[in-house]
Amino acid sequence: MSIVTAPPQGAAADPSTLRTSPLAPISWRAPIIYGVLALLTFVAFGVLPAGGRFTTFTFSTGTDLFAIAPVRVPSKSAAIALTLIALAVAVLSFVTTRLRRRIGPWLPALFGVVEVAALLTWAVAGKSNPLPVTGLLAGSLFLATPLVFGSLSGLLCERSGIINIAIEGQLLAGAFLAAVVGTLTQNAYVGLIAAPIAGVLVALLLILFSIRYRVDQIIVGVVLNVLVVGVTSYLFSTVMKDNAATWNSPPRLATLSIPILAKIPILGPVLFQQNVLVYLMYVVVAVLQIMLFRSRWGLRMRSVGEHPLAADTVGIKVNRTRIRNTMLGGAVAGLGGAFFTVAAGLAFGKEMTGGKGYIALAAMILGRWSPKGALAAALLFGFSDNLQVVLGIIGTPIPSQIMLMTPYAVTIFAVAGLVGRVRAPASEGIPYVK
Amino acid sequence: MNQEFYVKNIIRTAAFAGIAALALAACGSAPSTTTPTGSTGSSPSVAAVKYKACMVSDAGGFQDKSFNQSGAEGLDKAKADLGITEVKVESTASTDFTPNIDNLVSQNCDLIIGVGFNLAGAIQTAANANPKINFALVDSAFSDANFKPVTLTNGKPLLFNTQEASFLAGYVAAGMTKTGKVATFGGMQLPSVTIFMDGFADGVAQYNTDNSKSVQVLGWTKATQKGSFTGDFDNQANGQNLAKGFIDQGADIIMPVAGPVGLGAAAAAKAAGNVEIIGVDQDWYLSAPEYKDIILTSVIKEIGQSVYDTVKQGLDGKYTSTPYVGTLANGGIDIAPFHSFDSQVPAALKTKVADLKKAIIDGSLKVTSTSSN
Repeated sequence: MSIVTAPPQGAAADPSTLRTSPLAPISWRAPIIYGVLALLTFVAFGVLPAGGRFTTFTFSTGTDLFAIAPVRVPSKSAAIALTLIALAVAVLSFVTTRLRRRIGPWLPALFGVVEVAALLTWAVAGKSNPLPVTGLLAGSLFLATPLVFGSLSGLLCERSGIINIAIEGQLLAGAFLAAVVGTLTQNAYVGLIAAPIAGVLVALLLILFSIRYRVDQIIVGVVLNVLVVGVTSYLFSTVMKDNAATWNSPPRLATLSIPILAKIPILGPVLFQQNVLVYLMYVVVAVLQIMLFRSRWGLRMRSVGEHPLAADTVGIKVNRTRIRNTMLGGAVAGLGGAFFTVAAGLAFGKEMTGGKGYIALAAMILGRWSPKGALAAALLFGFSDNLQVVLGIIGTPIPSQIMLMTPYAVTIFAVAGLVGRVRAPASEGIPYVK
Repeated sequence: MNQEFYVKNIIRTAAFAGIAALALAACGSAPSTTTPTGSTGSSPSVAAVKYKACMVSDAGGFQDKSFNQSGAEGLDKAKADLGITEVKVESTASTDFTPNIDNLVSQNCDLIIGVGFNLAGAIQTAANANPKINFALVDSAFSDANFKPVTLTNGKPLLFNTQEASFLAGYVAAGMTKTGKVATFGGMQLPSVTIFMDGFADGVAQYNTDNSKSVQVLGWTKATQKGSFTGDFDNQANGQNLAKGFIDQGADIIMPVAGPVGLGAAAAAKAAGNVEIIGVDQDWYLSAPEYKDIILTSVIKEIGQSVYDTVKQGLDGKYTSTPYVGTLANGGIDIAPFHSFDSQVPAALKTKVADLKKAIIDGSLKVTSTSSN
């Protein structure tokens, strides 16, 4: 139960330590990954496929201020051009790495965008159906919503030192209570308010066992997930099934278009023609990003997660901070659960969260325990999930079973390959005893 | 210190990997035995008989508004009409199948019915191990390790030529679409799912040939057996998102073959406004009344009737392992009435569908599927 005092090895990459050891070895991993990927895609999407086929992308929906005409490009040359850009990015990365210069996050982002564009150009080549770019992005955000809430919940808890594996259960409990309350009151907004309460109830159990009784937090989390599955499935089979009209037919949250913004082509339909839950998500991400790194509250929370003894010495109540954060995390995850029922306009179904809580945990790690990063990671997972769907609809030569693996393959690749070493809050999972 | 850090990370990774498995396994350890009150006796109207018919559900559970529910209703009917004893056990994951069946074997069931393709292996093993108990399996035949069909003396497959009815549904869809695009998708790529999609695609193709139209089917290509699947029968949001994708592409009639996930598609269709749904397994107009305004028709599989008949045969001592095959001819499958769309379906289309149905019944039109039996 010793507290980590020395800086972990991961800090070696920090610029501050670089100054003390100027000859730190150059990490060639990124340029090599870029180079290999760019070359592979250049050959697979650009050189090998037969020419003479066309790819069509559509951008506009009916509500746009002005229409963007569908773009029809020759598949082969477009893929070659795009992968050449990717190759250029790889070369740039090679050069800057050699010069020991750091580049902003725009480089991997640009690389990702051109590679995905090349993949799409190749996959849709010669199909009669165009690829609806707006639909692809809107669906990504739709699928990412519960992941964003889930990973924010995870980071709220972990930043203060409590590992929250029970995200899945909190999502499911939120979905359940939102459906029940929404149906009873016939008001989707009341259901939306009820959802966080369910999440908090699950969080209270987590708090009871992990802080009061100091049970292993991972085990408690797993057990709580199973408990919520059991309770909600039981109530679903007994009460909800027979009286679906009274208990389980929640109204749907209305779609609120933001004036003017909603009419911007591409961005409008994706970002600003959503229900209140998605707007809440934007707010929660922004507020948490600022509060976590720029406020006293955030500093205290992080200190409790990193070095509770030091925090305690300066008068921060460690366990009280943890309890409050875990409850807040439960509320956020419960709110995310409302996505599955009142926001999507669906009746509650057994185990309807389908493991999203676990993917949310991966998004939290991929996002390096920051709200901004969690949002980006969740969007990446949502995108890969929806890409698989959209390509399936248009028709691809890839078998459905392989297509269904894509989101998980991306998860593994992203967590293992892109993130590399991450540093979790130093004291997470360790109960604090004075 | 660093070592401690590494160890923690390893534990974390291992925990991660274990979580999904643990969660599933933990669900599996507590199979919920649905023995409603009075299930050990009989309903008052009929005399109790000493015959115990038992049923194991697929992971969807008995409230899935789909094939599990149909099977359970058949057994309930047998209990009410024939006075038998019933035991229904729900599975929540595929790891439950064997323990649930073993549990029923030890309860001295006379007949054990497995609902769904996924139970094929577990039922076959149990049938071989318990030659004195009769078994039945909904939606799949038995096969050996090399996928060669085998016949068991105590295992009765309950099969359906679903493609015949979904052919009619596809024909109707092609006749009713305004955009020239219709869609279908599945939960998982299993024969009992793709058989719907094969028939649907053929029905649309038939309409195109008859009327020189070019209605397009999204989500399934019969020739290559490739198409769209959501990956499970639980996550309705996936079905909703997939259906949205189809609607983005201009499809205005969708047939989801994915159990409860299909309800997600219905929600997407309802939100879109001018999109219709073709239900599967049961008449969704009746079983999912919240969507009755958008249910064009349904492809009905009388799983309940086949279960009822099997129980009755067993009770009368006439159980055989000869497969039951539901067809349009014997009423084992059918296409549901149009209900609220009745006035919108042109009379010519109705006549044509009735003619096709006759042709299939008398054998002059063969609808095939690689997944059929």
